[in-house]
Amino acid sequence: MLEIKNLHVKLENEDKQILKGVNLTVEAGKVHAIMGPNGSGKSTLSYVLSGRDGYEVTDGEATLDGADLLDLEPEERAAAGLFLAFQYPVEIPGVGNLTFLRTAVNAQRKARGEEELSSADFLKVVRERAKTLKIDADMLKRPVNVGFSGGEKKRNEILQMAMLEPKMCILDETDSGLDVDAMKLVSEGVNALRSEGRSFLVITHYQRLLDHIKPDVVHIMANGRIIKTGGPELALEVENNGYADLLAEVE
Amino acid sequence: MAALDRPEMDVKEGVDQDTVDAVAKLSGKYKYGWETEIEMEYAPKGVNPDIVRLISEKNEEPEWMTEWRLAAFERWETMTEPKWAMVNYPEIDFQDQYYYARPKSMAEKPKSLDDVDPKLLETYKKLGIPLKEQMILAGVEGAEDYKEGERKVAVDAVFDSVSVGTTFKKELEKAGVIFCSISEAIKDHPELVKKYLGSVVPVSDNYYATLNSAVFSDGSFVYIPPNTRCPMELSTYFRINAENTGQFERTLIIADKGSYVSYLEGCTAPQRDTAQLHAAVVEIIVEEDAEVKYSTVQNWFPGDENGKGGIYNFVTKRADCRGDRSKVMWTQVETGSAVTWKYPSCILRGNDSQGEFYSIAIANNYQQADTGTKMIHLGKNTKSRIVSKGISAGKAQNTYRGLVSMHPKAKNSRNYTQCDSLLIGSQCGAHTVPYIEVKNNSSRVEHEATTSKVDDDQLFYCRQRGMDEEEAVALVVNGFCKEVLQALPMEFAMEAQQLVAISLEGSVG
Amino acid sequence: MALPKIKADATDARLAALTLPDGAGWAAEARQSALSRVAAMGLPIKRDEYWRYTDPTSLTSIDAPEAAVFENDEAPVFNDLDRLKIVFVDGVFDAEASDDLSLDGVEIERVSDAMNRDIHWAKDLYGVLETRGQTPVQRPLAALNTAFATDGIVIRVTKEVSKPINLTYLHKDVSSDAILHNLVKVEEGASVTLLENGPGAARFNKVLEVEVADKASFHHVRAQGRDHERRAVTGIFTRLGTESAFKSFTLTVNGVLTRNETVIELTGDDAIAHVAGACVGDGRDFLHDDTVFITHDAERCESRQVFKKVLRNGATGVFQGKILVKEGAQKTDGYQISQGLLLDDDSNFLAKPELEIYADDVACSHGSTCGALDDTALYYLRSRGVPKGEATDMLTLAFLAEALQEIENEEIADELGQRLEQWLGRRR
Repeated sequence: MLEIKNLHVKLENEDKQILKGVNLTVEAGKVHAIMGPNGSGKSTLSYVLSGRDGYEVTDGEATLDGADLLDLEPEERAAAGLFLAFQYPVEIPGVGNLTFLRTAVNAQRKARGEEELSSADFLKVVRERAKTLKIDADMLKRPVNVGFSGGEKKRNEILQMAMLEPKMCILDETDSGLDVDAMKLVSEGVNALRSEGRSFLVITHYQRLLDHIKPDVVHIMANGRIIKTGGPELALEVENNGYADLLAEVE
Repeated sequence: MAALDRPEMDVKEGVDQDTVDAVAKLSGKYKYGWETEIEMEYAPKGVNPDIVRLISEKNEEPEWMTEWRLAAFERWETMTEPKWAMVNYPEIDFQDQYYYARPKSMAEKPKSLDDVDPKLLETYKKLGIPLKEQMILAGVEGAEDYKEGERKVAVDAVFDSVSVGTTFKKELEKAGVIFCSISEAIKDHPELVKKYLGSVVPVSDNYYATLNSAVFSDGSFVYIPPNTRCPMELSTYFRINAENTGQFERTLIIADKGSYVSYLEGCTAPQRDTAQLHAAVVEIIVEEDAEVKYSTVQNWFPGDENGKGGIYNFVTKRADCRGDRSKVMWTQVETGSAVTWKYPSCILRGNDSQGEFYSIAIANNYQQADTGTKMIHLGKNTKSRIVSKGISAGKAQNTYRGLVSMHPKAKNSRNYTQCDSLLIGSQCGAHTVPYIEVKNNSSRVEHEATTSKVDDDQLFYCRQRGMDEEEAVALVVNGFCKEVLQALPMEFAMEAQQLVAISLEGSVG
Repeated sequence: MALPKIKADATDARLAALTLPDGAGWAAEARQSALSRVAAMGLPIKRDEYWRYTDPTSLTSIDAPEAAVFENDEAPVFNDLDRLKIVFVDGVFDAEASDDLSLDGVEIERVSDAMNRDIHWAKDLYGVLETRGQTPVQRPLAALNTAFATDGIVIRVTKEVSKPINLTYLHKDVSSDAILHNLVKVEEGASVTLLENGPGAARFNKVLEVEVADKASFHHVRAQGRDHERRAVTGIFTRLGTESAFKSFTLTVNGVLTRNETVIELTGDDAIAHVAGACVGDGRDFLHDDTVFITHDAERCESRQVFKKVLRNGATGVFQGKILVKEGAQKTDGYQISQGLLLDDDSNFLAKPELEIYADDVACSHGSTCGALDDTALYYLRSRGVPKGEATDMLTLAFLAEALQEIENEEIADELGQRLEQWLGRRR
């Protein structure tokens, strides 16, 4: 599904190398987790994959189902099935959540040559999916993420994911700023979306999210590289011993 | 397509989708850019006392009206064009314009809509305007309490210089409401016209208003009797069709004690290489406890992407809140015209009177807009609110110009002004020129203004969700304008949202 | 275009009553060119847009209206500071009252001495920034100053200067009419603080041109004296180089008429300009006008304007502030706030805060408010036993504090704050 080879990335306006040769393959239907200390390049990876400005790929490649991602515009990557749940979901004043969702859904359908969803169908689906995420009608009416609590914002990200039905979901620190209940709700939302044809890349600093969203593979990232890959037990190891031991081990 | 924020969308699914489809079909070009082939009758080019007399005569006006016009013309000849606005355009040759044009078929005024040239009706049909009852625009966006067929809009359509028909006349008459063309009003209700015409915008007010006073050929007249809620929305659609023709319409709205009316105004003009002149005057009189809402969607041809052609729009709009507790609300969506010079204002004379101004001004390509409002607080406990959203793109210049004046006697009055500008691209300009004059200390004035570019994070977020850049910009800009869009009657809000998106096409990338 | 007759006549009359001072070739040329600028522009009249709120008639009349000398028993402002003191009396340099014009890292001369020399650095500054400041808005009274200034100080700063330079302008003659022109050139990496105080003259026309080179900084604090009847029109014209800083604060209490114009041009990237003012106006005759024009013509510059005016007994406060962001001046951060506090019903606050922006990647904002003291706050203080007058002063000072905070030197900020408190107390 997602294949990253030797990815080198620097900041566009600064001479600062952030990713220094990332290699990663996420197979269809699998959940991969990337853990790592702050500043290891985890979020950069998610931004580069989704096409945010400000980064320059100096080497390597990234493909989704064999198609080159890095040359595409952000919306083309989205239409290709890539979804990023933002660490800090953006507030868009004045734009209703529903409007936003419907515009996005139809834009992607259009890009893929599919019929646009009728209002009735759209609403039906939104209501259904919102309900399982405990998103009430009021939240759907309010402007995108404006005045949402941390938990509401993250639930809203998952709702978008559920509506857009991507193939490849990247969750960037989705657990940050969530209390236990909110984390549970969000994780359940994610788990409900797990399927054979859908892969996940869960970026997190802490192991606790992985208690709820069980990964198949865990990678440890540090200093712009993946330094160790293992099963779920690797996450527990980090939880117990911290990153210091791992880093020392590699060096 | 356009951002349609409708929490109540479920109420009217079908209509909603149709509309969205319709909008999706609109191309990036000016939607209203065709002209109608109708045989026209013109007065000779230029303006002089003879032309003024001719216009008066064509309208079969009484002597006092002719004199009023001639006095205005005399005054106009002594005036010079104002230059203080931040707009640049080639010198206008006021003698190289037609001041009177009307479809030949109108030489004999139609008795009813059935008598109107079908081509004309076709024109309005193309514009999507509900000349006929069955074409009521309403229902596009369903309000919670909306029921099909109940919502009506009475329309007066002005084609070049002439009113071609007014709908729902009978029903309005039953309520005591007078809604007709101003030329009819001059003949049929001279006492009202005499009393109010020029009482808000005096003949000598400004260069363009004075010219209008001399040569206005038609426009709309509204009188709402005391304690009457106008049973439907009233609306005028203006269209400039003939080439080299200036349009000078005059609107007079009188809301008598305790009455209420919502009035909508829409404008379009064909695509032409040469600039066309439009200088209108709108006067509103609001008596005690009365309320008037005046909404405009101005979509005159803005000129092409190289700045050729387009309408020069010099408009004087003013409301006089004469009575205590009177209220007026101006809402405008200005997306068209090559040059816009327009400051809908409120004179808050009555105690506890209120004025509101909500504005979206979009300037793209080579458009120039200099628009804003004046809130003149004269009475006690008067309140005003200004919300202005300016969007500049391409090589356009967009200026907010406003005055808030608290006179010494306007005790305990309030003003709040929020004035935001959004820039799209590095070659456009956004300017803010407010004047704030406070002459008593029990009043409070607050003015805030911001200028920024479209937020990159917001655009990226939208694009990550699959929208292309243009779509993302349209969505974010509609969000930016939300407060103003909400102030529009729902029929207009829909149209305005689409216009916002269309006006910005080609502004990114 | 020909000037309107009323303007042309007034200008001719005023110019006929003045004579150009002598000077070296370059100086004479600078004065002559300023004179032709004045003649072309004409002196301001009330009808001019830029003078819509302030009647300039008494600033352009042939004779200065008389102004009584304020008898003052308190020590002059800045007296307790370690500073280099330079004194002018009614616009004339007073060598005896002044310190030696020597200070490490600074060259100081009288303007008349500099202008008599054939070769002098002042040639590239005198009238140069003033000329640049004439577009897009005309400032004829500043050009008049350049042409006819009789005295002033020129300062060249080459290092970080250890103590402030203090220009004190005393007013002793009821009909004095002074035109003073100062120049400051802060060379690369250097920094200096300039203090100005005193009313200057019955009528005072003062221009300060400041060139701030790359990485240099200029700090300016002034208090415009307490004479009730004096009139002043001042102009600061400054140009800022890369990574330079300009910070100016003005305290105005009293005076019949004050028009302070500040014209700032940010021409080097990453430069900072702050300009602030606090004003307390009392009485029907009082009019205080701050007119600021900041041009951003480089990237990543920051400008900040903070103006507060307390007005009572029919006083009028005027603010005309503009931020112009030129094409290409990306990442501009422009902020402006102007606030009027009207202590009674007769006072006026008139503001025209403008933005003119031709670059898209900017964050510019302005705010302007006007109103009375907060009743609830006043009531709260009184309910705690603070008498009404004192409570009013407390809240008034709190209102002005935001502007005083713009003064970087805390010692100076404290002193001005204390003075303000005393003055407010006395006028009660």
